[in-house]
Amino acid sequence: MKSRLFMVILLGGFFLISVLSFPGFTQNPNISWKRSSPETQPDLQLFHSPHSIDLPTATTLQKWDVEFEISHRFIPPTSVGINGFYGLDGPVNMRIALGLALNNRSIITLGRSNFNDNIDLTLKYKIFEIRNNALPVLIAARAGGAWNSNPAYIQIIGRDKTNSRNFQAFGQVILNTMIRNKLGIGVVPSYLYNTDIRFEDKTKDTFRLGLNAQYYVGQFWSLLIEYTPYISGYRSLIEQKHNPLSFGIELETGGHFFKIFLSNSKFLNSSQFLAGADLPVENNDWRLGFMITRLLKFGKKI
Amino acid sequence: MFRSLKFLFLTIIVVFNLLLSAEYQVDHSRENVVKFISHAPMDDFEGVTDKIDGYIYWEGDNLLNKSDMYFEVDLNSIDTGIGLRNRHMRDNYLETDQYPYTHFKGKLTKAEKVSENEYKVTAEGKMYIHGVEKDITVEGNMTALDSSYHITTQFVTALSDYKIKIPQLMFFKINENMQLELDFYVKKIEKN
Repeated sequence: MKSRLFMVILLGGFFLISVLSFPGFTQNPNISWKRSSPETQPDLQLFHSPHSIDLPTATTLQKWDVEFEISHRFIPPTSVGINGFYGLDGPVNMRIALGLALNNRSIITLGRSNFNDNIDLTLKYKIFEIRNNALPVLIAARAGGAWNSNPAYIQIIGRDKTNSRNFQAFGQVILNTMIRNKLGIGVVPSYLYNTDIRFEDKTKDTFRLGLNAQYYVGQFWSLLIEYTPYISGYRSLIEQKHNPLSFGIELETGGHFFKIFLSNSKFLNSSQFLAGADLPVENNDWRLGFMITRLLKFGKKI
Repeated sequence: MFRSLKFLFLTIIVVFNLLLSAEYQVDHSRENVVKFISHAPMDDFEGVTDKIDGYIYWEGDNLLNKSDMYFEVDLNSIDTGIGLRNRHMRDNYLETDQYPYTHFKGKLTKAEKVSENEYKVTAEGKMYIHGVEKDITVEGNMTALDSSYHITTQFVTALSDYKIKIPQLMFFKINENMQLELDFYVKKIEKN
């Protein structure tokens, strides 16, 4: 009787071990493997592009990404009609720039606009992020200096190109959020030092509040708008007395962003754009503009 | 006395079973590489990661005996070299917020010894990508090292099989067929 019971236990043991060892069993008890590290968390990015139109976004690039930018702003307004091909006949203000991501949080960019031969050097740094499904937040800071290396103003003809009055500086805090992965909203308090380089006696400063929004309609295109009202400080009452307003569409594909838009400003570099726009929106006069950025990677081809 | 003998006998069976079994887990101290390669006219690229994890198991000397394997890749870690493209891959194609891992679960069904330390193996099982599971058969090589194996395999997978949509806007950026190349090491786990 006892030996029969022993056989039952023995066979039962074999059966249990065999069943638990069967590979089709979801949890093979002989296997001790457990996931060794938690799921990778990609860097939080909200807006797809590092730029709105003239305002920056808090989006950064991956370390050693290189961004090439070319922008045009056609000076004749669209109101010139077909005779001036709605401004496309030019002339144009243009900007070319090259940015380099020093790491995943910061981008250094060197750019040049043909207006006053304005050369600017900027650094954008992502300071802070809040991961929240309902209202994620990114905060970045952007600072830069600009040298108007060949000002075209008649008032200062003959001034040495390296005169300190030809230099400007600016700083921006960039607050971005994204609602339902569709609507990006940005608030960009901005400060400009030496707003008008024509003044010989003392520098003038300007504060503006950049506001921008972008609605991502599909995977590859979106609508965007930005408005940068004057807050305090110096404001030109003649040439740049209006608040910059721009709106358009953005296409993204692979490593490209292509923006085409209308704007009341002819300025592309930050130190010029933050001084103000030159066209009143009340007259429904707009300038056509576009911006193309391409991300590049040098070195190892991947 | 009889009860003690029974206990001893059962203990021997369990210990013997454990001694014969071999579990090898991905060796994270080695250089593991998983590549997702897309050949497209306008934009060839590779997505690379070392975030592979999992195990392979068998009992006794025969690699096929009670064979079991599970390997997974952390898709959020794939780097195509450009941050924006990584984001497109995560958000638009793989939807990693919903499906952060891809995995293969199956077993070895063939193991042919081609040299002293090398086996040409075939694995059959289920590949899981983008929320879709599909039966696949994969061939590869296993090379025995001291207490580890070097595993290599490459195979092509059709993205449409896993309901990954390829956008047809402007440029055909991603090939419908994605080549996967895996080159990694597993090391034997000592049972206590």
